[in-house]
Amino acid sequence: MVFQLSHTTSYKYGNGVTFCHNIATLKPRDFLGQTILSYELEISPKPTEISERVDFFGNTITRFSIQQYHKELKVIAKSKVLRDYTLAPDIHKSAIGMAITLEEAKKELKAITPEILEVKQFVLESILIAKISKNIRDYALVSFKPDRSIFEAASELMHRIFTDFEFNPNATNVATPICEVMEKKKGVCQDFAQIAIACIRSIGLPARYVSGYIETLPPPGKEKLIGTDASHAWFSLYIPKFGWVDFDPTNDQIPKNQHIIVAYGRDYYDVPPLKGVIYSSGENKMKVAVDIRPAVD
Amino acid sequence: MTIDLNTLFQNYFTNHKNYDEVLKSNMDINPEWANLLSNLIEIGPKELVSRQTEIDWLMDENGVTYNVYNDPKGLHRAWDLSIVPFLIHEKEWQQTIEKGLKQRAELLNLILKDIYGKRELIKNGIVPHEVLFAHRGFLRQCDQINYNTTKNLLVHATDLARGPDGRMWVVNDRTQAPSGLGYALENRFAITKAAPGLFNGIHVKQSSDFFQDYNQMLIDAAPKGIDNPNIVIITPGPHNETYFEHAYMSSFLGYPLVKGNDLVVRNGRVWMKSLKELKPIHVILRRVDDIYMDPLELREDSYLGVAGILDVIRQQNVTIVNPIGSGVLENSGLIPFMNAISKYFLNEELILPQIGSWWCGQEKERNHVLKNIQKYVVKRIDRSNRESIYFCEFLNEDEINKLKDEILANPYRFVAQEKIKFSTAPDFINGKLEPRKIMCRTFAVAKKDSYSIMPGGLVRVAAERENLRVSNQRGGVSKDFWIISDEPQNHFNNYSWDSTFRNPVSDINDLPSHTAENLFWSGRYLGRALIISRLLRMCLNRMQSSQYHKSKAPSESLHIIFEAITSITHTFPGFVGEGKEKIFENALKELNSIILDDTKMGSLAQTLGSFTNSYYTLRNLWSKDMWRVFDGIKKLWDKHDKTKEYSVSSLLKLLDSTVTRLIAFMGLIEESILVDQGLLLYFIGMQTEQASLTIAKSRALIVANYDDDLEYEMLEALLSSHESLNIYRYSYRSYLSVENVIKLVLLNDKYSRSLTYQLNRILKDIGKLPIPKGAENNSECFNLINKATELISNAKIEDLLELDESEAIRIHLDAMLEELSDLLHKISLSISDTYFNHSYQQSQLVNQNFPLQ
Repeated sequence: MVFQLSHTTSYKYGNGVTFCHNIATLKPRDFLGQTILSYELEISPKPTEISERVDFFGNTITRFSIQQYHKELKVIAKSKVLRDYTLAPDIHKSAIGMAITLEEAKKELKAITPEILEVKQFVLESILIAKISKNIRDYALVSFKPDRSIFEAASELMHRIFTDFEFNPNATNVATPICEVMEKKKGVCQDFAQIAIACIRSIGLPARYVSGYIETLPPPGKEKLIGTDASHAWFSLYIPKFGWVDFDPTNDQIPKNQHIIVAYGRDYYDVPPLKGVIYSSGENKMKVAVDIRPAVD
Repeated sequence: MTIDLNTLFQNYFTNHKNYDEVLKSNMDINPEWANLLSNLIEIGPKELVSRQTEIDWLMDENGVTYNVYNDPKGLHRAWDLSIVPFLIHEKEWQQTIEKGLKQRAELLNLILKDIYGKRELIKNGIVPHEVLFAHRGFLRQCDQINYNTTKNLLVHATDLARGPDGRMWVVNDRTQAPSGLGYALENRFAITKAAPGLFNGIHVKQSSDFFQDYNQMLIDAAPKGIDNPNIVIITPGPHNETYFEHAYMSSFLGYPLVKGNDLVVRNGRVWMKSLKELKPIHVILRRVDDIYMDPLELREDSYLGVAGILDVIRQQNVTIVNPIGSGVLENSGLIPFMNAISKYFLNEELILPQIGSWWCGQEKERNHVLKNIQKYVVKRIDRSNRESIYFCEFLNEDEINKLKDEILANPYRFVAQEKIKFSTAPDFINGKLEPRKIMCRTFAVAKKDSYSIMPGGLVRVAAERENLRVSNQRGGVSKDFWIISDEPQNHFNNYSWDSTFRNPVSDINDLPSHTAENLFWSGRYLGRALIISRLLRMCLNRMQSSQYHKSKAPSESLHIIFEAITSITHTFPGFVGEGKEKIFENALKELNSIILDDTKMGSLAQTLGSFTNSYYTLRNLWSKDMWRVFDGIKKLWDKHDKTKEYSVSSLLKLLDSTVTRLIAFMGLIEESILVDQGLLLYFIGMQTEQASLTIAKSRALIVANYDDDLEYEMLEALLSSHESLNIYRYSYRSYLSVENVIKLVLLNDKYSRSLTYQLNRILKDIGKLPIPKGAENNSECFNLINKATELISNAKIEDLLELDESEAIRIHLDAMLEELSDLLHKISLSISDTYFNHSYQQSQLVNQNFPLQ
């Protein structure tokens, strides 16, 4: 399946900006099952400097600065992505991966192998997922038992978050602490992903944050409107002897071809799509539009 | 060797069981201390008290301060130095301590390289990954950065204390932006000056070679191909606890002191905003902590750093000393693994012992700690502030259980350490010597393939006999730290070295914009303080001579003067606004508040407060004499309580002393700072303020037309507040007339207090400022001041004296003064916009107020 994808972010500045430095984490990742056929970043006004590098988590980030006075900044990331999830290892086909219990998994994680060392950092607290409260751990313990398969437990956790939490874009923002989300049981995909990650880390397993997109389908018989999609986020659990497995608690499903992956991190803080420092004295207004559809040619 | 039971040592060992540096319990003396002790005895208790007083005075006079955050009295707290130095013999120093410090610096350097590089320590199981990955100082943004310096760790400070086994133990490492060097220098300076007798017969090692190495390290840190690097010191600002030292090091090393917003990243380089243009910067000695250094990639709400600087570091176009990310080494979780690390990297045992420590991330250690927790001091691996240190023996059961839960939730975050009874050394307290626990801070800088160690350093003393903790927070006491030698030392007392490698601001064009701005405002506030003091003094003098009493209504002239004071000082409503009748009933109360109430907008106290702030920000430029006079003003004002109502004569006394001191201070500024260092900006600020106030006074007192008697009083009021009565009498030898007063105070182009003279002076000084980029011939402010000088030089006295139809005011005089006042306001704004570059504030693209740890 080939998708064409565009992600437009625009800022309007009340008093204009003389100078800015920005970092964009917008380029989809390339891995077995997801191939980037093309990618371009259109920025207006044209940046004075622009450079690309790979960050600590292997994501491609673009840094740019604009040194001319401007009242509007527009960043459009366009890509064509070939997605075929069947190429990647399938957890359902791994008897060992499906079966490994919490107790066994924790034992496996004691090994000092490069792979285990790499994933173990995702057990630790991170900036947005810190001071994990008891109610989060209790919530996790309902699903995770020492002799139960962690895959099964994580699938159940995903399902429970899907049913227990209300999707409500007005309930939270990027700065809402996880304990508050846990109490209100309301939020958006990013909150649900972070709650799940907190749950999994509270019992000592590695979990990471995945940012990306999901293709939404129009109601039957209607044509899909442009820009109705949005950035999406879900979580990934490391299952020893198998590897990372993604879970989407917002949609209660294990991602397949409709999920496009942009970046991995410990939480949202590591992978915001666009951030920066501007030199201005006024307010600014942001607008985001995402569009994903099957490529026409 | 034993000594007589000298009064100095009375009760030295009361309740005291520790190991002492000087005396054994049988009063045997450590021979290394014998000379110093006999010097102390020679000086005698009485003289020691007076020497100690002199040291306190010196510290105070030289403005050596240490700020304590969240302490109302904290800002500018005086630094305490004990008269009794601490000493270590060269033999011990060279044989173990120096070697041990070099080894430790090298080890930390290798760890730093490894953590942000290959991470072999983790891969090979030498250090558990949590010790580094869970430390908040491990900055993933700094991963895989390469540096062009031989060492990654360029400066390293270590806190040492002597353990019960007689060896020096490592207590702490400081690797981000170690403080203490400036205090150490100042301590030596003060002891040498106040108690030279202490050095009799003792050869103390000098630190000049170390500072040469320090400076060379900064120069060598420059990016490839830069032989003559531009070096700056970045400070968080005057509220930082060690700001004294930032300013001190700036003037000692000769590198400009800048704040984050003086620097900017463009085109892959770091630049300093100076008056004329952007100047490339190659090396930054930082006193700002890691995470505040780059709001683009690190803490986004930081205003202390430079957005985008990390990428310039990656491109090796600038070097930061120490590199950003080195805070991960301030890590008590590393202690249990240091020996293994030493074997891994160097195949050596650690030379300096460390405090026994158990990292709770390991099961066996954790269980041991939980079982025996009362015996330990528990810390977080990445926090060394006292709020995160638990002295478990003092905790109750609830607190212990709470701590245990915290450990169990995130065991890898905690380390338990043994309590150590460190040694004591004598301190001079209440006329005799008493033992106090001490801690030594030592300093190392990278030098070729090794490190250079400062002979000595900074010693800090616990405040109480049995105090466990030693720290400068809450204002501890410090000591001079001597390494003594059997050999005579060269270049004794040579603290200011060869000036050839100083790199002073050589040109006004290079002046950092915030320095320029603070100088401008220092001039304005100082000018304002002086003129307002004189104005108030004139008013109080008139009250005194007219035997003012609140029971009787003020005379008509006093009435006008009161109103004038409110409008000139902008302390509205006061004598002119709503409710003025009440104010007039007790005019003295209002004057008290205009003078003393620092919370009242426009008051004299507030003006002096604003001046104080600019003054502290600029302290690297001021001389010691200036500090002394400034301190005198501060002390004078501290004696006055704004809640009290002082009499006319006590207020007059205060104003008289203030005026004298302000004038002394202004004289010192003019002789202490070079025009190219920014004195020009100070002059422009001062003259702009004085000119504005001359206008305000003239508008309030001589624009209106009064009958002869009242007019006479107004003219006299203006002249005396302007300190021009004598000059008038000398020049005109006549009865006061409006015509002559206008000629003298406004139009005279030779008299330095006249408005014309002041405006011409501003014109001349603004003409010397660099012409900003983009301006065709002259800057906007130059054009404005030019207009102002033309306006006044074209004014004709006959016109200015002309009355309006109702004969109430001098209509042309008022119009001219209004226009000039307006122009001066515009000039001030234009100078700010053109030269100080603060019209745009840094902000986040997306405001993300994350709950940062």
